[in-house]
Amino acid sequence: MVSEVLDLFWAAFWRRQRFVALFMASFFLTVGIAACSGEPNSVGSKAQITPEDVAKLPIQATLAQIQESGQVKVAVPSDFPPFGFVNPRMQPIGYDIDMAKEIAKGLGAELEIIPVVGGYRIPFLQTDRVDMIISSLGKNDERDLIIDFSEPYAPFFSAIYGGPNAEVSQIEDLEGRSIGVAQGSLEDLEISELTKTVGSVDIKRYANNSLTASALVSGQVDAIATGNVVAAKLIQDNPTKEITSKFVLKDSPCYVGVREGDAEFVAKINEIIASVKQSGRLNEMSQAWFGEPLPEAIANT
Amino acid sequence: MDGFTLSRIFLNLLIATKWTLILSVIAFIGGGLIGALIALMRISSNKIVSRISWIYVEFFQGTPLLLQLFLAFFGFSVITGVNLSPLVAASIALTAYTSAFLGDIWRGAIQAVPRGQWQAASAIGFGYFDQLKLIVLPQAVRLAIAPTVGFLVQVIKGTSLASIIGFTELSRAASLINNVTLQSLLIFGLAGLIYFALCYPLSAWSQQLEKKLAYK
Repeated sequence: MVSEVLDLFWAAFWRRQRFVALFMASFFLTVGIAACSGEPNSVGSKAQITPEDVAKLPIQATLAQIQESGQVKVAVPSDFPPFGFVNPRMQPIGYDIDMAKEIAKGLGAELEIIPVVGGYRIPFLQTDRVDMIISSLGKNDERDLIIDFSEPYAPFFSAIYGGPNAEVSQIEDLEGRSIGVAQGSLEDLEISELTKTVGSVDIKRYANNSLTASALVSGQVDAIATGNVVAAKLIQDNPTKEITSKFVLKDSPCYVGVREGDAEFVAKINEIIASVKQSGRLNEMSQAWFGEPLPEAIANT
Repeated sequence: MDGFTLSRIFLNLLIATKWTLILSVIAFIGGGLIGALIALMRISSNKIVSRISWIYVEFFQGTPLLLQLFLAFFGFSVITGVNLSPLVAASIALTAYTSAFLGDIWRGAIQAVPRGQWQAASAIGFGYFDQLKLIVLPQAVRLAIAPTVGFLVQVIKGTSLASIIGFTELSRAASLINNVTLQSLLIFGLAGLIYFALCYPLSAWSQQLEKKLAYK
């Protein structure tokens, strides 16, 4: 009896071991191929290619290439109003698309717009499929390692917004008032942190941005803390309420992204951005898409 | 947002369906041809050929389609420095994915035909390929219809992943319009109806085919 059980176990063991061996082989094969782009972990953003791989890609003088071919390809968002979205004819429109048009004009090249899904903007740039990213791209240290950033061209900040009877111009003025904020958002963290020193601020947390916005419109709160993108839509949909930005909580502007090491190209882009700011065109665009003028921090760089 | 009327939304979704259809047809045809090859390799008596086919199937069945698309589009550029166009990259990934699953389904169907059929055919004097073509495959087809069509319907829905490569197909178009108008129920409901309209004819056709091939 025991010997039979042992025989059975022995047979099963060999089969299992072979199964395990094959499983591991196919697993490592897969991981090996999938991870062939260098280090297996990219913290934070998805779909990043490491510096070693960037070095393998042919370095071309982008500016010279653009002038030769007469065409510039730009990655823009297509699902992020008002930076990039679609009109009823499914054509890309938005602040970033206008910016791309200005830069193409400045470069004297024909513009080709390539709408990309947010998480894959940087791989498109690194594999030479686009020449620059104009897609509400924020700057952080991780990204700075693999791509280069221009000067900021678009505001992206969290601020306090309210109607004409909410006269607040700094954090201390919030005392005794009710502030609406989307639960768990960046603004929630900011406002909770900043109001620790100010007494009796009634922070009302709502499930999402649209509920927060409705709270302001219906008068449930004196002011709300939200991102300028949400506010832009809110201001546009409720022109009679005269909602304006009171003061800025945190600034995280948008930059144009280009390939690492392309210094000549970045310099040219910065030149164009500066001239667009000076001519007042950027302010025009900001008014058209965000419903507010360009904030000082961006206008004066 | 004004301008996005119901008819406009529906029209935009229909236009975007073009890419879903194109990618699906490429997957069916490419996947079908290579899948047939894979199935035949798998049942071969040559151990090396059989093993190659097995590795191919295990790899493409075991990895997600999204990963395969990503490898074909970005991974290929990183390794070789050559950029594949979105259509070529999507075609390669979808063909590989579809062929692995179809190859295995068809291999299973062929192996389900009783061994006696092969022996009887060989006794009459048929060579290997005649045995396959005249005796075994006609019986295997009946067994393979249901799982094949079931998988093809999956492929139609799986083409939505190609949006990362840049195709504005049905799912992506629905998502874009939703970001502007925020009428999720309407937009995704319409997209769902269109997917159903694409998938149901396949299922209906498969039921007809099964009835036609059934033993009386």
